Amino acid sequence: MDLTQGFRARSGVVGPVAGLESLNFSDEFRHLVTTMPPETTGGSFTALLEMPVTQAMELLHFPDSSSSQARTVTSGDISPTTLHPFGALTFPSNSLLLDRAARFSVIATEQNGNFSGETANSLPSNPGANLDRVKAEPAETDSMVENQNQSYSSGKRKEREKKVKSSTKKNKSSVESDKLPYVHVRARRGQATDNHSLAERARREKINARMKLLQELVPGCDKIQGTALVLDEIINHVQTLQRQVEMLSMRLAAVNPRIDFNLDSILASEVSIN
Amino acid sequence: MASADKLINTYVPEKDVFALHFLQSLSNLRTQNPLNSPDKSIDRVRKIKKAAYVSMARAAGGTSRLWSRALLRRAAKDDNKSVRFSRRKRKVTWKISSKRKRSNQRAPVVEEAAERLRNLVPGGGGMETSKLMEETAHYIKCLSMQVKVMQCLVDGLSPK
Repeated sequence: MDLTQGFRARSGVVGPVAGLESLNFSDEFRHLVTTMPPETTGGSFTALLEMPVTQAMELLHFPDSSSSQARTVTSGDISPTTLHPFGALTFPSNSLLLDRAARFSVIATEQNGNFSGETANSLPSNPGANLDRVKAEPAETDSMVENQNQSYSSGKRKEREKKVKSSTKKNKSSVESDKLPYVHVRARRGQATDNHSLAERARREKINARMKLLQELVPGCDKIQGTALVLDEIINHVQTLQRQVEMLSMRLAAVNPRIDFNLDSILASEVSIN
Repeated sequence: MASADKLINTYVPEKDVFALHFLQSLSNLRTQNPLNSPDKSIDRVRKIKKAAYVSMARAAGGTSRLWSRALLRRAAKDDNKSVRFSRRKRKVTWKISSKRKRSNQRAPVVEEAAERLRNLVPGGGGMETSKLMEETAHYIKCLSMQVKVMQCLVDGLSPK
């Protein structure tokens, strides 16, 4: 199999663990994940995670054995210290495994019971390293689940949400997000739902968000009510700043010829003042 | 909503970056005309002001910000120099604002303010209103940083 050949070519060494970091796992893991037998995909996350891990473990240390037969557990005598760099490695294909986890929506913290059950054919010393790695991931899985779910379905959701919810919704809130490719706008009650007005509303939400940002930036703008005055204040502030620059440059021009222009001394004076 | 800063990128470097750029430009100015005292002080003021704006544009974002790009281009045009732009991710800026003037759908209050802003902020002519406000926010931050730097410099150099 090309996997074993790949591993054999890259790591002829088992002992020095520093070489582990230089191995590139991404292609091999993707191959492993896609060629997993179908009965394990219906199971828990441990099955997903453990199979590639144990297979990879054995492939690492015993490049001769093929991946399908893997589990003859002679690698059980590997001391935990050699496993630690392996556990500390961040897999480049994390996203792919987490992706599968997201689809099955099983969180990894439940796995503690399952680990002991399914390690009948795998390494008894492994769960420690696995647990460390898997525990570090649940913090990621939740956020990654959200991101993935949103990015997968947000493209389809725009039309559906508008058509379904606009006619029956009572809530007055509208959701707007800048980072997703599609904007989710919930139509308010009694408002037109054709595409133009929805796009209009989305655009207005964007402008309002940015205006809020500007309001925070300009001092004294949060107290003002009404967008017109806020905008006037913002424009005023920009003009003030530009006038300040001009004034200071005049003063600098007046000051400049006096001083012997030594860059270091000026930098020192600036540091002392700040 | 203080978290709006994370969605819209308005990152501005520290004061030192601005200070360094400005001082470098000032020393360049000095080496250009070494105390042969160009005729009036008005020219000197103008040169210093231009150096201030150019150094601010370079320190703030180089050519990755629309206003800084427009500012640098404007400054280079006066000197008849050519400014180098990296063409990596250059979006096409359409003249949408001229189209929208005909249709009356946008809020007129916002739009007239946006027009005034476009005259103030460099490079505002080809931007949509929302993009314009982003650029204004970044421009305000950079301007205030530059003002701080210049104030410190003047205070440091003025006679005690």
